[in-house]
Amino acid sequence: MHKLMRKLLGKLNIAFALFLAVLMTGGLGGATYVLASPTSSFTQTINAGVLSTDIVDGSYVTVASPTFAMNATSFSWSCQTVTGSFGSTTPSTQQIYVVDPSVTGNWTLALAASNPTDVWATSTPYLTFDFNDPAGDGCTGGQMTVDPSGAIKAQGQYEHGVSGISLGSSFAFNQGTKDSITLMTSDGTTFIGDWTLKNVNISQKIPAEQAAGSNYSINMVLSVSSS
Amino acid sequence: MQNSNAKIINRLANVGVAVLIATLFAGSAFAVEYGGFGGRPAYPQAGNPRTESIFVHTLNPGDTVEEGVLVVNNSAGRKTILVYGVDSTPSSGGAFAGEQLSQTKDDVGAWITLKKSEVTLDPATNEIVPFTITVPKNAGVGEHNGCIITQEKLAKAEAKGGISLSFRTGLRVAITIPGTLIRKLEIAGFDVTRKDDGSFLLQPKVKNLGNVSIDADAQVVTKYFFGLTHITSGGQYPILRGDTSEWNFELKKPFWGGWYRSSFAVEYDANPEAGVGVKSGNALTRLEGPSVWFWSSPTPAGLAIEIIVLLALIFGGFLLWLSRKRKNWIRKNWVEYEIKSGEDIKTLAERFNVSWKLIAKANKLQPPYALKESQQIKIPSLK
Repeated sequence: MHKLMRKLLGKLNIAFALFLAVLMTGGLGGATYVLASPTSSFTQTINAGVLSTDIVDGSYVTVASPTFAMNATSFSWSCQTVTGSFGSTTPSTQQIYVVDPSVTGNWTLALAASNPTDVWATSTPYLTFDFNDPAGDGCTGGQMTVDPSGAIKAQGQYEHGVSGISLGSSFAFNQGTKDSITLMTSDGTTFIGDWTLKNVNISQKIPAEQAAGSNYSINMVLSVSSS
Repeated sequence: MQNSNAKIINRLANVGVAVLIATLFAGSAFAVEYGGFGGRPAYPQAGNPRTESIFVHTLNPGDTVEEGVLVVNNSAGRKTILVYGVDSTPSSGGAFAGEQLSQTKDDVGAWITLKKSEVTLDPATNEIVPFTITVPKNAGVGEHNGCIITQEKLAKAEAKGGISLSFRTGLRVAITIPGTLIRKLEIAGFDVTRKDDGSFLLQPKVKNLGNVSIDADAQVVTKYFFGLTHITSGGQYPILRGDTSEWNFELKKPFWGGWYRSSFAVEYDANPEAGVGVKSGNALTRLEGPSVWFWSSPTPAGLAIEIIVLLALIFGGFLLWLSRKRKNWIRKNWVEYEIKSGEDIKTLAERFNVSWKLIAKANKLQPPYALKESQQIKIPSLK
């Protein structure tokens, strides 16, 4: 009897372990599975993957309400430039993330204001300056420049490299002629991939004598578009 | 009996360890799985793989076509997703982008009518949102582009200072109105820019002179000074109607350094039968751009190797020079000598005050360097 048990245990060791492992892992991972009765029928849906973008932390978890602040500055009698970095590593990792599960086509990752007529504004009192006014070399109303050319691109969670992924050039927003600035493009040769982007330099020219305010803000949209 | 029980307990312990290990490894496969939301064409056309990621149609003025966008929520939470159509806008560098919801639509964005403006989806679910594209009767010949956008519907966040971000995914809608379709590109420039870290940006520019978008194969070939190819950069990119596309192909700091030459060329299908995702099957048109010479210093490792090789070459050259000088001296100053009985190379070396090795080398003598009587060799002159 004991000999038989030993044999059975020997045969079933691995199979049993794997079965329990899958069961436990599924349980821990929150997966849903069904114990079938003889009359059950199984259906399975694999939801289509879609091109998408987000801001994630170092563990690829979505950052809730991502914002990024420009470096603080003081009131000035002359035009000044403040800088910031989009997709940073300090104080915590906030990286731009693009997932492309498609097998065909190019895509473009671009940054734009939610409305080209928007401005940097404070709520109380209502103070504003522009982000896309080229007049006076950006010093009349204010102008933002986005420079992704020196940013750090990298593959995401999966091994596929960064072949076919190009960074955009430095451009300043200009209402009506440059409402969208390209951060990164794909030539579509590396399909089914994920990529991160960090350290996109942003500079904003602030007009002379701009009133001091602690919460100048603007809404922007990060778009990834298949083309 | 006790021995058997111990073996069974041992086996059960093994199973436990195996379960633990397998669980740990199996668990890692589910570790960091990102799932976003977005859309894709619901009804891709057989024979045009591009229609799996964008909408492509050829329509006459006044035509209407039924379409659908599959809105997908792969995130972990329930989401309400806005779905809307917009006109396209050239992003910097000539890339494709969609205008904002707030902007007035007067092209393809205005031709799109969606059956729903938003959908609410549970995690890992999807829904097809039907829409129609109606081309106005006065639409001009050529390609018109718009975009179907999916964007999460969020309550307006309280301003905290800085830049607040929202995210969206766009699907290009390319509508071609038949007529005289012009497919023509022109190279608008090519620059090579050095970056602070010593790498380079290869920046070709191509202008689309036609009235349809063109999928172009842009290639920059960088060669060493002597013509050997160092690296080829580039890829396939759509160049939109009326736009100038420019790309930044990165060139890592060359290992060896030196003079390099980068040349730009672009190939595209200029035949009118070609379209978005459709090849005519005819020969491609190739445009050759300018070449740019540039200098790069080597990497530290490359420089170290180059210094070692240079020193080795200098030392080798010095040895060669020394050898030739010695040969010349031997040719001018040594004379023929006939070996007499009892003489060997050592006695000759002592007699003529020269190294026996030099005598052996000058006369190409091989070990054991034995000399025969009456043998003719060269020795230093006694003068």
